[in-house]
Amino acid sequence: MELTLRALGVLAALGLAALLTHFFEPAALSDAQERGPATPAGARGPVELAPNPDRWMHPAGPVTALLGVLFALIVIPYGPDLVPRDLGIGVFYFIVVVDFVVLGLSLGGWGANTRNSVDVYYRATAQLVAYVVPLGLAYIGAIMMARSLSTVSIVDAQAGMWFVVLQPIGFALYLVTGLMQAYRPPFVEPFAAFIEHGVYGASFAWQALLWRLALSSLLFLVAAMGAVLYLGGWRGPLLPGPVWMLLKTFGLMAIMVWGGSRVPLLSTGRMLELSWKVLTPIGLANVLVVGALILLGVGPS
Amino acid sequence: MSFAEAAEWFAFVILAVISVAGALGMATTMSMFRSGIFLMASFIGVAGLFVLLSADLLGLLQVMMYIGGMLVMILFMVLFSHDPGGSMMADMDMSLIERFFSLGLSSSPDKEGMDMERHGHDGMDMGGQGGHDPMDMGGQGGMDMSMTTPVKRWAAALSVTLGGGLVALLLLRPAWPTTDTTPNPESARMIGELLMSKYMMAFEGAGLLILIGIFGAVLVARPGAYPDRDARDAYVTRDLPPAPIDEDPPPSADAHVPPEALEEVTVSGAHRDEAGGPPPQNETGQAASESLDRDS
Amino acid sequence: MAVPLTAYLIVGALLFGLGVYAVIAQRSAVMILMGIEVLLNAIGLNMIAFWRFVNPGDYSAQIFTILIITIGAVEMGIGLAIMMLLYRNRGTVQVDQYDSLKG
Repeated sequence: MELTLRALGVLAALGLAALLTHFFEPAALSDAQERGPATPAGARGPVELAPNPDRWMHPAGPVTALLGVLFALIVIPYGPDLVPRDLGIGVFYFIVVVDFVVLGLSLGGWGANTRNSVDVYYRATAQLVAYVVPLGLAYIGAIMMARSLSTVSIVDAQAGMWFVVLQPIGFALYLVTGLMQAYRPPFVEPFAAFIEHGVYGASFAWQALLWRLALSSLLFLVAAMGAVLYLGGWRGPLLPGPVWMLLKTFGLMAIMVWGGSRVPLLSTGRMLELSWKVLTPIGLANVLVVGALILLGVGPS
Repeated sequence: MSFAEAAEWFAFVILAVISVAGALGMATTMSMFRSGIFLMASFIGVAGLFVLLSADLLGLLQVMMYIGGMLVMILFMVLFSHDPGGSMMADMDMSLIERFFSLGLSSSPDKEGMDMERHGHDGMDMGGQGGHDPMDMGGQGGMDMSMTTPVKRWAAALSVTLGGGLVALLLLRPAWPTTDTTPNPESARMIGELLMSKYMMAFEGAGLLILIGIFGAVLVARPGAYPDRDARDAYVTRDLPPAPIDEDPPPSADAHVPPEALEEVTVSGAHRDEAGGPPPQNETGQAASESLDRDS
Repeated sequence: MAVPLTAYLIVGALLFGLGVYAVIAQRSAVMILMGIEVLLNAIGLNMIAFWRFVNPGDYSAQIFTILIITIGAVEMGIGLAIMMLLYRNRGTVQVDQYDSLKG
């Protein structure tokens, strides 16, 4: 039945994404001191089991995060007809569903009931407040040019020229806010060493596995959506669609992670300052520029 | 009943139960964090009902705004309350519903200590309470820590009457004139066209309202001209007991300080008006960066 | 539509009653704000149910609901700011402690 085939496809994509990201990311992070969610399993000491975790909220954290990532994988197109479900409002749905990862971090952080994990919850929510507006503004440029919220339409609108050429500001904004969304350096505050590497410090066994799955796939998702929005998705001359998609995704991931690991780490207060004082005005300027370009007839008709 | 109809009824019942149970849990549980999570669940239920009613953009909009909004609101609530985890209330006299929704909140001394410690850690960040023990609030040590006011029973009676009355009115009323036409599946496009053409004024007005709301919120919640610890202690006016009045006030010109509480009002007011001060920052960012500075 | 209009309106009415309970009976200012959000939600549900069953051609109802959600969010933001100021000045956010005007 087609529905089960698509569901299995999404699960396979999740597994593949997490696996490739898990092996690929530390290579790009080679000389960063804080590795964020890519922290190797032995980096923190022996896990101190949370003495009194909330029975429902603590396991609900990684499950919610994983559900968010799974639902978000539904709208990524891998080829001309290879999208699990082409929602008419695909990009908006993607933004909404990736917020569930933050919800998972709050549930897991609060539920573990230790001082450091509640700290994780605070910092993750503050980072949500920081990234959400500039991220929306980074998406809007591509949506305006493609005149549609559907990921398939956005890829089709880049048949002439990729949006990265037409909207370089938007692309740079997406790189920065994508890193903020994925909790990678330089925005690794919720996973820093001084709070026991975030939720990794309070979870063990299957919960730790789910956390790693969810967070690795989150980086893959952010890069994949960046490829869809700005790099033309699966479009490319010689190779088949999915191969181009993988190449673009990992290329974008490499740029983001490598560039991010060169920059000094930012504390949550500075992240908020950066986002609201620098990134949001840049985003608004980008919307103005894209609007002007559309009125002048540049880009897809 | 065909399969599609049964599926629709099934989805409706599940979503309706989630919505109502979420709101009920929000109103009756003893833990503030759980109450926020129940509210989020209720909103997701209502968003599901929106999608079932073919208003999919609106359902997604509801989820996006309320998940993000509720997360931040729970954060504020946790930082401002004495017992966000609800552990201190586990021995209280609760009704059956409240007991059901507060399952799992233990009252072990460890968790209480950890809650106090956690709140103490953040109470110092947020409210400028200095070294105050959060429980020692000038006579409030024995305060009733329940989440609900004493008018709980009247409120319950009122809400049951109101809800019951509305439901009875709905059931006994003659049928509304309903149509069976299916709406246009591209709701985003239709909403966009309407927003840009017919409701442009409302759209712009809403944008202006949001802008003014942001200005107002930032202005009201500014940390003040001197946000470091000592100055903030001076800025936060509390109902401190007045300093004892001397029988013979010293005749010297350097003004002996009047009761501290009164002076702080005028001093902080003056400071706020005259100095430019650092740019207003989000309170969370401030607390976080301040704690970061303390850690490093 | 298999599920009749009245069913959706009953859910809205129940949510409204629960919202009224939350606003009246809760002690902390943030909880009262949450009760107000439940009230707004019930209203939104009613509006969309009526839109779908009475006149699905005119999308004005959805725009109205978007505006309701927006205004609810703005009100929540300002309410939280006021609550923060109250906390600084009174030390508590429990609304039955604000009794300095009490006769």
